[in-house]
Amino acid sequence: MDGPHDLGGKEGFGPIVTDEPDVPFHHEWEGRMWGISRSSGAPGVTIDWWRHVRELIDPVDYLSRPYFDSWAQTELATYIHAGVITLDEVKSGRSASRKERTAKTISAADAIAFDGASRADFARTIEAAPRFAPGDKVLTKPFTQTHHTRLPAYARGKPGTVHAHHGAHVFADENAKGNDVAQHIYSVVFEAKDLWPEAGSRRDRIFLDLWESYLEPS
Amino acid sequence: MTDYDPAKVAEIHRHLHSHLPSEPALRVKALESLLVEKGLVDPQTIDAWVEAYSEEIGPKRGAAVVAKAWTDDAFKARLLSDGTAAIDELGFVGNATAHLKAVENTDGIHNLVVCTLCSCYPFSLLGVAPNWYKTAAYRSRAVRDPRGVLAEFGVEIADDVEVRVWDSTAELRYLVVPQRPAGTDDLDEAGLAALVTRNAMIGTDRVLSATAPEAS
Repeated sequence: MDGPHDLGGKEGFGPIVTDEPDVPFHHEWEGRMWGISRSSGAPGVTIDWWRHVRELIDPVDYLSRPYFDSWAQTELATYIHAGVITLDEVKSGRSASRKERTAKTISAADAIAFDGASRADFARTIEAAPRFAPGDKVLTKPFTQTHHTRLPAYARGKPGTVHAHHGAHVFADENAKGNDVAQHIYSVVFEAKDLWPEAGSRRDRIFLDLWESYLEPS
Repeated sequence: MTDYDPAKVAEIHRHLHSHLPSEPALRVKALESLLVEKGLVDPQTIDAWVEAYSEEIGPKRGAAVVAKAWTDDAFKARLLSDGTAAIDELGFVGNATAHLKAVENTDGIHNLVVCTLCSCYPFSLLGVAPNWYKTAAYRSRAVRDPRGVLAEFGVEIADDVEVRVWDSTAELRYLVVPQRPAGTDDLDEAGLAALVTRNAMIGTDRVLSATAPEAS
């Protein structure tokens, strides 16, 4: 999706605010949002569907509202889309249905243990042999999808070199639709001069992790 | 999962735009209240997660990994060849680190990590990402003007040093292994870990001090 989230190489966002408090949460509500997202989620939501729902936030809101605020809106949208929460409930601020279950109460030690167990593994075994090997020259596809994709606009239609093969991983574009299908995935390296007109002879190289269907032999 | 309907979600977002309060704290409160009322979230469990990511799960884990790599060549070799297996030895695998790749800075190479498409970050190893990492300013420029970005962090990179930018476009997550500062031969692992800054493990810091900052 050519949305506001696809920020690589966009200009005009100004300097980076590098000095910030050295604490994980700068406001209490940020911590609440983090805790909500770590302890719950709408049914059937894959990580790529969640990302896509966030990408679908109105572009002006996406670029102007605080980061964890976009998580709150994304969570609400996924719950509404899944039929767990209704828009009327959001408007009234009250649940219209009886409480059907009791959420688990855990300690910080439990949370640390859960975190250690939540090691989502995206590697899959597939029959297809990898089409590319390290050192191969490739050309990225000029277009992908109008929906969720992980080939950023700045790296489309560009020449690169396969740096490493990482086996097969669940393919993000399909995972967003709930389909657990995998493709070979590669670390592909691009020279800055092939991506940016002003790069000149700068010794910058940009590495992206790209699924096989994003690539053509070159 | 639920039916896949991006157009419907875009419509939901427009409704939320109209009906949610503007203040972020009130939006999160609205979400939390509904989830608590429905029995889907427990407020104490939210507290527990905040505590876990404020105390235990944070950059000190990554720093311990780096310090171990500096003092144990065999561990460093394992870290660079299979990051996840190596940090698993220390019990640090978890949220977003099942596919960890460690990349090493050298005299001739500097590594910088970004996620241009969202804000992917090795949470169980480095904790919650700093705010700047999630801003449009950083995400847009890290891949295009990494030396300019680094200069804003006070890091000057010589022309003959190669800058490698790692855009986290899939489920691999990156840990930068900074160079061990000179003059630290007498330090043990804990002493070395205290020298490793979070930014150095993302790549927005390069030359580490040989003395730890005073505890404030």
